[in-house]
Amino acid sequence: MKDKRIDHAGAAAAFIADAPHLAFHDERLWDMRQKRDAQMHLLPEWQELRTLASQIKEHTLANLPDYLEQFERNATRNGIHVHWARDGAEHNRIVAEILQARGATTLIKSKSMVTEECDMRPYLAARGITVTETDLGERIQQLDDQLPSHIVVPAVHKLTGDVARVFATHYGTDPNADDPRQLAEAQRQAARPVILHADAGMTGANFAVAETGTFVVCTNEGNADLSATVPGVHIATLGIERLVPRMSDLGVFVRMLSRSALGSPITQYTTHFRGPQDGGEMHVILVDNGRSARLGMADFWTSLKCIRCGACMNTCPVYRRSGGLSYGAVYSGPIGAIIDPTFNERKYSTLPFASTLNGSCTNVCPVRIDIHDQLYKWRRVLVDHHQMPFVKREIMHMAGKLMGQPRLYRAAIAGAETALGTLPRFALYSWLNPWGKQRELPHPVEETFHAWYRRTRSGNGTADTGR
Amino acid sequence: MNARDTILDALRRNRPDPAAHPLPPPVMLGDLDAGQARFVAGLRLLGGDLLERAPGEPLAAAIARRFPDARLICSAVPGVDGAVPVQDLPNAQAADPVDVAVVRAAFGIAETGSIFLSEAQLHLNALAHLAQHLVVLLDPAQLTANLHTAYQRPEFRTARYGVLMSGPSATADIQGVLIRGAQGVRSLSVCFDSV
Repeated sequence: MKDKRIDHAGAAAAFIADAPHLAFHDERLWDMRQKRDAQMHLLPEWQELRTLASQIKEHTLANLPDYLEQFERNATRNGIHVHWARDGAEHNRIVAEILQARGATTLIKSKSMVTEECDMRPYLAARGITVTETDLGERIQQLDDQLPSHIVVPAVHKLTGDVARVFATHYGTDPNADDPRQLAEAQRQAARPVILHADAGMTGANFAVAETGTFVVCTNEGNADLSATVPGVHIATLGIERLVPRMSDLGVFVRMLSRSALGSPITQYTTHFRGPQDGGEMHVILVDNGRSARLGMADFWTSLKCIRCGACMNTCPVYRRSGGLSYGAVYSGPIGAIIDPTFNERKYSTLPFASTLNGSCTNVCPVRIDIHDQLYKWRRVLVDHHQMPFVKREIMHMAGKLMGQPRLYRAAIAGAETALGTLPRFALYSWLNPWGKQRELPHPVEETFHAWYRRTRSGNGTADTGR
Repeated sequence: MNARDTILDALRRNRPDPAAHPLPPPVMLGDLDAGQARFVAGLRLLGGDLLERAPGEPLAAAIARRFPDARLICSAVPGVDGAVPVQDLPNAQAADPVDVAVVRAAFGIAETGSIFLSEAQLHLNALAHLAQHLVVLLDPAQLTANLHTAYQRPEFRTARYGVLMSGPSATADIQGVLIRGAQGVRSLSVCFDSV
């Protein structure tokens, strides 16, 4: 049942039922959005930066094969081993081969959405390689055997008590700990010996610079720099769309990334890797995994501009009230809803409907992806491809017929008004009316607009008679 | 076809028209103030601090004042009394017991309060991350205004490992509570020191 449709609405309903978690989640993400706004208002050039970022990314994508070759040439010249992976399976095989050739059995890693895409951890575990996530939020999710629920703050759906429960099980700490400081310190103490003795380290990358063969990692906890500098082997996995042409382009993107994500002017660590450290070894794996195909989708290729800041998630009323896990995918929120169907159209067919189309995602996107337009276009694609659940499809089909025939429509409206006024709740709020699950139906009116118009205006030809 | 050629071939077939998407020229935007006050405000916003010295006070004395319990101080700059030179550490793991690491930044960025360190300044890259605390010497003449101006610096084209550190390590992954001192250094103190 790998392709079973994600029941986003069902999972969201469960999330909404948990009032304390819902309230924190909603407030925390809205706070990140407000901090982002405060930073934006400090920079008069903000909108210009967004335009530039969009243009640079679109140019890079239109010339991606050339920039990838340039990156490969420069990185190789600097002593980096560059590998190419068509998909997740090929990526995982490359990582395992690098590690096995060096007899490495322990890998420490910082957060990388691409390795989540590739589902790398179970693959390596089956080959006797222990993978330890070192980012606090990602480690919590690893120990709790859940996907990250947010691309920047992976455990944002959890409260302190949830983390205390996870750490008590795995680290033997106090299950009733209620101070986040105490729990963060427990992570530091647990991670340090693992870091010191790891055979290899792994990071993702936020950007890669074609003209120098540099890749850039933006983090806050220091775990990525520890993972890259303490062991002798550093493997970096990056999606092929991470490229920018020039070093100077980083000025545009780094200025916006953390401001958009967390509302801080820059991440605590912005690290530029251009070659292996003394006595060390460095590998870069360039991963396609559906990206080259997405580049050919006229309506959706610009989703490849995404720099993974999460601003669209923080601002989305649906995401804030349904939680990242309800999307059942590596990428959640508005950006997830337009990327995920390219991985599996049927499985993720419900996600483009998890939106009010209010356009807020588009307004905050630092690279100007027209996210809400793409959500709408995905709905059309999914309907054309018959990827709609039965009830929604039939209701839309009936609605289409009704609205196409004014006489039938008016009769139906009159009937609906009667029904709203007379039918009991159990009949109105049934499974045939998913719209009514979290909403009240409108109050019945005495008279429809059309009936009123016919009564007061018809027959005398002018619009303002009777006044 | 191998993976590389398969990917490049697919990209060449699928890409949008390159002529429709020209590359904009490099820009120099934003506030171009490269002053110390702006740098210090940025540094403090991200949780960093200043280490101030009384006139004529040796660096080692100022460090002892700030970190009275420090047992192992390791320095990547010469002339810090009582500090172990980083060159004496045989490997990265040897940096784990270091309480305070002393380094000199290549430059700082006023916009964000960031300092730049590479292998040229650190000798052992892991020193800046395994130590508990970091003391950073910074020549005020090496301040640059913002990230646009910073990326013109030659260090980005020569360093194999180059980190912009902006305050100490931090996390807000547990219920949104901001904690300074996550997995890397617990504090970062900048000491202005002209060369």
